[in-house]
Amino acid sequence: MAKDIELDALDAVRRPVASANGLPNAHYTDPDMFRTEAQALLMSTWAGLAVTADVPEPGDAVPMDFLGMPLLLIRDKQGEVRVFQNICRHRGMMLVPEPRKIEGAIRCPYHSWCYSTAGRLVSTPHVGGPGHNTHDAIDKDTLGLIEVPSHIWREVVFINVDGTAPPFEEVHADLIARWAEHDKPLYHGGADSTFVLDVRTNWKLAVENYCESYHLPWVHPGLNSYSRLEDHYNIEAPGHYSGQGTLVYRQLRGVNEEVFPDFEGLSEKWVEGGEYVALYPNVLLGVQRDHAFAIVLDPVAQDHTREHIHLFYATPRTDEGMRAKNATLWKTVFEEDIGVCEGMQRGRSAPGFDGGRFSPAMDSPTHCFHDWVAMRMQGHG
Amino acid sequence: MADLARRLLDAHARDDRKALVALYEEAANCANDLDAACFYLTHAWVFALDAGHSAADALYDRLHGLGRA
Repeated sequence: MAKDIELDALDAVRRPVASANGLPNAHYTDPDMFRTEAQALLMSTWAGLAVTADVPEPGDAVPMDFLGMPLLLIRDKQGEVRVFQNICRHRGMMLVPEPRKIEGAIRCPYHSWCYSTAGRLVSTPHVGGPGHNTHDAIDKDTLGLIEVPSHIWREVVFINVDGTAPPFEEVHADLIARWAEHDKPLYHGGADSTFVLDVRTNWKLAVENYCESYHLPWVHPGLNSYSRLEDHYNIEAPGHYSGQGTLVYRQLRGVNEEVFPDFEGLSEKWVEGGEYVALYPNVLLGVQRDHAFAIVLDPVAQDHTREHIHLFYATPRTDEGMRAKNATLWKTVFEEDIGVCEGMQRGRSAPGFDGGRFSPAMDSPTHCFHDWVAMRMQGHG
Repeated sequence: MADLARRLLDAHARDDRKALVALYEEAANCANDLDAACFYLTHAWVFALDAGHSAADALYDRLHGLGRA
């Protein structure tokens, strides 16, 4: 019976925006639902894990926890960014517990089995007895690190944990085409251009809030002085992404009216245009003429999300003071959103809440996301 | 040999993997039988791999030549 109720509720989510309800409370508060959604929404799709700047140099290795899985983000000696399960193929010991530079091989701290940074098992000391480093039963060629399929786009490292998703370029062909003009080298601003927000909310609420511009004049009154509600438009690609665009993007100006260099070759649209898109499931992207950003949402628990924010520029070097000012500006905006994301999370404990309703004019990007969630949950069975 | 053992423990305490490569190779060269020598050579090789030490290939070749890698 509970299953029937759940399916009916998902059917209600999938109705046209004018009559649809939002996702039921359990999708925000129930630990079992969180685990089910992890399978249906985050492991079987291309989920954001990190950015390439997390491992800037060959040999850099960072252990990561994603949905409870121990993963290792590493830039191998050839410069390729890879993601492995952070465990030894011998006894399952965690290989790299802290971020560090791998100087040679990844050596398991337990029995010293060694792996190349590309994941190849290169040494099994004493596996055949003391001083005997081979054994017929242990085929090194089949015991490399377990690699998680990964893809890099706009310097975000996406992973498909269960390996079932079609190729990234196929899944996200629409947005890749939409932003083809922005397919330019992105330079991470460095330590002063990244920050983490720890938010007591379900990760989907961070997506939902990011999707729409409806809240801008109320939650971001400072932003509204130059980016008014009527200057925004909705962006919807059902099943893939949704968000909003602005027609009045204004460049940040320094004390001497200096600005960040533009990305080369952009068309007229981007002189005052900016677009802000939630790429399902968990990556929030922004593009503008002179800088871009990516927010990777780490779904820690049903009521806990870490937002990893990264700012990118068109040139390798930019003015330090301008970067700091820009990071402060964006941090202020994203911190203003915390209150509503946490408030909606607390609200989801209200018994009998039907998931709410959507403004057909203003909330359709959010409904687009809910519809995607409901579609995948129905398909997950 | 007691002095070598002390130096090995000291290198372990400092996590000085470059020193461990040399010391375990020294221990291998001092060993009285092939199994003991290969035991120490294995350690030298593993710490060389770990540290990205230039001796790693030569140590592998030595073990491989003895049928131990």
